Amino acid sequence: MAAVIDIQDVSKSFRRKVHALRGVSMQVDQGQIFCLLGPNGAGKSTLVKILMTVIRPSVLSGSMLGKPIGHKPTLRRIGYLPEHHRFPSFMTAGQALHYYGGLTGMRRPARRRRVEEMLELVGMTSWRNHKVGTFSKGMQQRIGLAQALLHDPELLLLDEPTDGVDPVGRREIRDLLLQLRNEGRTILINSHILAELESICDQLAVLVKGRVAMEGTVDALTEGGVNWSVSYRDASLEWGDSKIEQLEDRIVVTLPGDSLHQVQSTIDRIRDAGGSILAVSQNRESLEDLFMRALKQAGTEDAASPGAVRGRKK
Amino acid sequence: MTSLLAILKESWLSLRAERLFRVVMGLNILVIVAYASMGFTDTGFTLFYGLFEEESEYINTHSPLAKTLYLGIYSAFIVNIWLAWAASILALISTSSIFPKFLSEGSVELVLSRPIRRTTVFAIKYVSGLIFVMLQVTVFTVGAFFAAGWRIDVWDPAIFLAIPLLTLFYSYLFCVNVFVGVLTRSTLVALLATLLFWFGTFGIRTADDQIQRFWLMSETTADESTQRLFELTAEIEQASLEDQTKVVRELRAERRETETDLANADEAIERLNPWKSAIGFLRMGLPETARTLGLLHRELERGSNNTLMDLMSGRAFEEDSDYPQNEFQKRRMDAEEKSYERELSIPGWKIIGKSLIFEFVILACAIWIFRRRDY
Repeated sequence: MAAVIDIQDVSKSFRRKVHALRGVSMQVDQGQIFCLLGPNGAGKSTLVKILMTVIRPSVLSGSMLGKPIGHKPTLRRIGYLPEHHRFPSFMTAGQALHYYGGLTGMRRPARRRRVEEMLELVGMTSWRNHKVGTFSKGMQQRIGLAQALLHDPELLLLDEPTDGVDPVGRREIRDLLLQLRNEGRTILINSHILAELESICDQLAVLVKGRVAMEGTVDALTEGGVNWSVSYRDASLEWGDSKIEQLEDRIVVTLPGDSLHQVQSTIDRIRDAGGSILAVSQNRESLEDLFMRALKQAGTEDAASPGAVRGRKK
Repeated sequence: MTSLLAILKESWLSLRAERLFRVVMGLNILVIVAYASMGFTDTGFTLFYGLFEEESEYINTHSPLAKTLYLGIYSAFIVNIWLAWAASILALISTSSIFPKFLSEGSVELVLSRPIRRTTVFAIKYVSGLIFVMLQVTVFTVGAFFAAGWRIDVWDPAIFLAIPLLTLFYSYLFCVNVFVGVLTRSTLVALLATLLFWFGTFGIRTADDQIQRFWLMSETTADESTQRLFELTAEIEQASLEDQTKVVRELRAERRETETDLANADEAIERLNPWKSAIGFLRMGLPETARTLGLLHRELERGSNNTLMDLMSGRAFEEDSDYPQNEFQKRRMDAEEKSYERELSIPGWKIIGKSLIFEFVILACAIWIFRRRDY
């Protein structure tokens, strides 16, 4: 699978004091939803801004869509939704989309058609002639997505795309992202809301203090984190090192690993002791668990604390 | 090209959304309506569309002074005071936010992440600020052109020079505004810094003009005194030969007085010289705001026997022809005339060129910051 984004050793220091990125390398494959996770100040937005030429890197080598990072004409093939974006409040939704389409170099006839399509896609057609300044956060986010998709980009970089959007809107955005991925587009998402990413993420990287602490496909990363849990009652048993949870009406025993044989023997043991099985379920490690594991693996004491590394480069 | 048009359109929509833009436009129209309210009759002139009528043998339909007065009011008062001060301050208030707003978080990323060079974005944004003033002045100038045609039957296209000259004048201030706006990203700081710069420039220019005037007065006194001393020495010699004791005494007294005048003038010149050099040096690096606007005045007065200065000083009128009345007034008038002539002798290209060099330097610094900054 071809890498749409392939970067090596990206570093960024602000005034040589704040080290936002410290040698980040990663690859984003084509047709994937890549999630960039990390605590506040980990450098996620800085990395995306470097890719979009908004921030100048201190050190960078790599390519995006087969061209060197910073190649301006390539930006025409990329859709970008920045965090905390602010549209000109005096423009209507339609005018704003025409403006951003124009900035990307879209000609008027194509723009006219796409603006209507995008407004419909994000459910804002009836707000076409209303001033953006009067929109709620969620509505502005929808217009933000529309402007990112307007020029039919091959690659989408979305910084907190569901920020401020209501649950229905979030669901719609998730479905839209899956649809875009199925069309063959590549999507890189920055988000704090891990539960939202869980169902759509193919690849991920966890940034901690400007470094990649964990990277890979979600399946590969969570492979070791599979376990089984068996809920029962009416039996008193000793489970040794297994994790036991004593609830009001039941006991839940968690079995590490993915061994079906172990599950069967556990069920037999409960039944032999006169117990009743209430539920058996397979659990995978959640994105949140994975994220927390990455923070632990980062090894630094303040890995989870917000903010970039300050002072001399380590 | 599509990108450039998009930025220009955004700027236009932004200007149109500014309440102050409409207010200034309305005030401009009001000023022009007031300007057009002055008219001339066979026996004098009228104000407020004939509401007040004043008889005058100098200013009437048949007098060339009517044209001088009417165009003089336009160039010296309406352009120099209304457009160059009041309207410019209002324009600065409106346009000061262009760059700080554009550079605010969440707004700038949406533009800089497009396939357009930062320098191009900067240039278009800058030009859009100037369009604000250009539009205002254009509406104003068209009104003034028709008012002059209607009132004094002068259809002088030179009136339209106000459009490029006022836009240039404004650009000298706007470049400072943009530079500070890019540097600090604060509308208020940019506005205050520009006003400070403007008043500073005005202060230095006024100080330079006054020092030049005093210097010229002293130089005139010194020249005249030296000349008179030569004459007095010869006259004293002649009177001594002819044994005219009383005349010699009077001439010697006048010589002592003249020597004192010369010494005072030399002392004044000596005292003024370091200030003249220092202020002159400071002024050299600053844009010529007043002189740029003065070019319009120059063009409108070209070919006229009298200037607005003649009208205001009374020299244009017969009964005031004995003005100035004393030596001091005479010297002051001479100095003012010399100073005025000196102003007229400075070519327009030099005035504009020097100011544009200042503007380019400031803009180059602003572009450098804008291009290198992380947003």
